[in-house]
Amino acid sequence: MLKVHSRCDLSCDHCYVYQHADQTWRGRPVRMPPATVRAAARRIAEHAREHQLPDVHVVLHGGEPLLLGAAGLREVLAELRATITPWTRLDLRMQTNGVLLDEELCQVLVDHDVRVGVSFDGDRAANDRHRVFAHGGSSHEQVRRALALLRRPAYRSSYAGILCTVDVRNDPDRVYEALLAESPPRVDLLLPHATWDHPPQRPGPGATPYADWLGRIHRRWVDDGQPGSIRLFEALRPGGGGTEAFGLAPADVLVVEADGTWEQVDSLKTAYHGAAGTGFDVFDHSVDEAAGHPGVAVRQDGVQGLCATCRACPVVDRCGGGLYAHRWRTGSGFDNPSVYCADLFRLIDSVDAYPGPAQAPPSEWSTASPLDDLLDDLATGHGSPQTVRRLADDQLAITRMLLAACREMSDSAAAWETLADLELTAPEAVRAVLEHPFVRPWLVHRLDPAARSDVGAAADPLPALAVAAAVRAGVPVTVDVPVRADAITVPTLGSLLLPGLGERAEVTVLPGGFRVRGGSADRTVLLDAGEPSAGWRPVRNVPAGRLLIEDGDPYRDCYGQPVAARLDDPAVQALGRTLVEAWRVVCRDVPAHAASLDGGLRVVVPLAPDPARPLRSATARHAFGAVAVTPHPDPETVAVLLVHEWQHAKLGAVLDRYDLVTPGQGTRITVPWRPDPRPPEGVLQGVYAHLAVTQVWRSRAATDNGDASAHAARFLAWTREGADALLASRSLTAAGERFVGQLRHALEETRVGSG
Amino acid sequence: MDHAPTRSPRPDPDDLARSLHTPLDQITVEHADLIEAVRRRVVVGQSVPVPVAAFNSSI
Repeated sequence: MLKVHSRCDLSCDHCYVYQHADQTWRGRPVRMPPATVRAAARRIAEHAREHQLPDVHVVLHGGEPLLLGAAGLREVLAELRATITPWTRLDLRMQTNGVLLDEELCQVLVDHDVRVGVSFDGDRAANDRHRVFAHGGSSHEQVRRALALLRRPAYRSSYAGILCTVDVRNDPDRVYEALLAESPPRVDLLLPHATWDHPPQRPGPGATPYADWLGRIHRRWVDDGQPGSIRLFEALRPGGGGTEAFGLAPADVLVVEADGTWEQVDSLKTAYHGAAGTGFDVFDHSVDEAAGHPGVAVRQDGVQGLCATCRACPVVDRCGGGLYAHRWRTGSGFDNPSVYCADLFRLIDSVDAYPGPAQAPPSEWSTASPLDDLLDDLATGHGSPQTVRRLADDQLAITRMLLAACREMSDSAAAWETLADLELTAPEAVRAVLEHPFVRPWLVHRLDPAARSDVGAAADPLPALAVAAAVRAGVPVTVDVPVRADAITVPTLGSLLLPGLGERAEVTVLPGGFRVRGGSADRTVLLDAGEPSAGWRPVRNVPAGRLLIEDGDPYRDCYGQPVAARLDDPAVQALGRTLVEAWRVVCRDVPAHAASLDGGLRVVVPLAPDPARPLRSATARHAFGAVAVTPHPDPETVAVLLVHEWQHAKLGAVLDRYDLVTPGQGTRITVPWRPDPRPPEGVLQGVYAHLAVTQVWRSRAATDNGDASAHAARFLAWTREGADALLASRSLTAAGERFVGQLRHALEETRVGSG
Repeated sequence: MDHAPTRSPRPDPDDLARSLHTPLDQITVEHADLIEAVRRRVVVGQSVPVPVAAFNSSI
C-alpha cells in the first residue's frame, strides 16, 4: 500500500488516519516525492524478483490519492509499471473517496490498468453522517457522479467496487439498496475501527448490533440471489479464506508512507500513536527486512498468534480473531479477542443459519481474489484488454509447456537450442511465434498418443518454429526441417511448396529471408521482395492492423468443419476490407468489445464456402487468438460473428485454467437456441457469447429503426434463460456460479442501460 | 461408490505464471511436474470428448 498523498479533501469523522490515536500524518510530506516512489517501486521489484512472485498487488492510498492530479498520478503509475512489470504481474489498485474523479483521471486509470475502490457509505443520509467536507457539506452527489463515471463502458474496467463503513444507526435496507444501485463489481463492508480502549458505538439495547445490522443485509443479499459479490459475507463462509479483517491467513500487507517509511497495516493507527511504525524505510531496507518486524511476524503464525480465548473458540478459523487493530487494549496489547468478538460470533452463526438456496459450496475458488477479479472483469461481457492479455499469457505458458514436452520427442537438438538462445536474445520474436494460434494445435497433435501412430502423425514442430523465430529475429542459423507433402510451413510467415525436397530440408536463415536445400531442390526465399519468391505463399496481413488472414497453416484445420484453401489476392483483399470495416462497426457498437478484440484477436481463418450454410463461424479451444469465419461481404454481419466467436475464445482460455463446471455429472440442459439439450459447458459458452451479442444489438437498437430491437430482445431472452438454467442446474463450481451470477447482473444492466 | 471419471488435475495457475519467467532451457528441469500436468490436461484430456472443443455458431 503506497500512501502517495497524505492529505484528504474530505473530513470524515470516522477516519482512522486523521481522527484516531495516531497523528503521524502531521509530520509527513503532503505528497510522496518522486524519489520515494522510485525507491518504493525498486524495493517491490527487488522482492518480486528474489521470490519469483507471480503477482504483486499495489494499492495507491492516502489521504486521498486523486489529490495528485492527472499528471502526478500518471507519473506515479508509469514509474510503478516501468520498474515492477519486468519482474512480475502488477495488480494496481486505488482506494479513493471519488470526489475529484473526472473523465481525465478515469482515462489515466484505464490507461494504466488501475482498478478503483470507492469509499461510499450508502444512501444520502448514511453517507453524509460521516463523509462530509470540512465545511460540513455533503459529498454524496460527487461520489455518485464518480461511480456513474466508472460504470461507463470506457471506464468500467477500472471499477473495482465500493467500500462501505458500517454505522448501525443507518437503515441497513436503504444502505444495501443504495450500494446495489451503483452496480459495483464488489462491495466490502467495513466495521468502524475501534479498540477495547475505545469501543464501538452500541446504541440500543441489543448486545450485538453490528451482527444484527450485517445479518439483515446478509438475508436481503441471499434472498435476492446474491446479486454481486459482498466480500465480508464470502470471507466468513466456511472455507471462505478470509480477508485482512477475517481468517487465519498470514498478513501480507505492508505500507509505504509518504516519507518512505515502511509501516504495518494502517488500520493500526486506530490503536495508539505510532502503532504502525517499523523503524524501516524503503531507502535503506528491503521488503523482507520490513516483513521481519515482530508486529508483522506475529501475524504469520495463524491460530498460534492469537490469544488464548480465540485459540479455544470453535469459529476461530472463520473470524481469525478479527482485524488485528480491533484487538488492542492498553496493558495487554493485541493479545485479546476482537472488540467485535460477540458480533462476529453471532454474525458467523447468522451466515451459517441462512445460507439460502443458491449458496455455493466451499471451494478453492472462493479464496482466490485474482481469479475473482479476472472472472468479474470477463463477466461484464467483454473484459479489459489487460485481462485478455492475462489470458494470452496463460496460453503462452501452456504452449511453452507443450513445447518442452515435445522436446523429448524431437531429434533436433539444434532447433531446441536455437529457440532457447533466441528467447534470451530476441524474446519478442519467440513470443510472436509461440503465440501464433496454430502452434498449440500442432504441438498437441504431435503429443497426442492416439494420433502419433496414424498416417496423419504430426511432423516435429520444433525445427519450423526455430526457423520462424530466427527469421523474425534476423539471426542466421541452419536447421534441418521435416518436409510434408513437398511443403515446409514457417508459422506466422507462410509456407514453401517445392517439389523434390524429399523428407528433410536444410534451412539456412539469411538476411531478409532463408535458403532451403533438400533432395533435388534449392530455393532462396526473400520475404521483402515485391513479388513472392516462387513457391512461397506468405501469410497475408489485414491492412493497417495486426490481424493475419491465415489460409496456409495446415494446423488451422481444427474447427470441425472444412477450412478454405488458399484465397487468391482479390479474395484476400476483399476479406481484409470487410474485416477492417467490421472492426470499426464493433468499435461503434460497443467500444469495450473492440478493445477486447484488440487485446487478443490476431488471426482470422476463412472457412470453406458452403451454399447450404453461407454464414458460419467457429472457434477452437486449442487455437486462442484466432476465429474462423466464412468470408462474407457485409461488415455489420461479420462484426457480430467476430464478437460472438471472441467470447468463445476468451472463455475457452478461462476453462483451460479453471473449472467453472463440475466435471463428470453428465447433466444436459435445455436451451432456447438449440433443439438438443446441451452439456453445461456448452450452455456456458452459449450464454457468454449471447451476452455479448445482446450488447451489440442493444447498442444498434438505440439508433436503428429496423429489426435490431427484435434481435436484441431475442438474444437477451436466450442469455437470461440460459444463465438461469445454468444456475438452477447445480452443475457449476463455486467459481462458475459466481461468474454466471455476475454475468446475469451485467445482462440486466445491459437491458436497463441501453434503452 | 463414485464411478465418475477422475479428471486430470489442472495446472496450478501460479505455477504457469511463474514459468513464464523461466528460460526455455531450464523449463524441463524446473517445471517437470507442470509439463506433465499440462500434457495430461491438454493433450490426454482432448481424447475425452470436450463439449465445446469447436463451438460452431449459427446466428
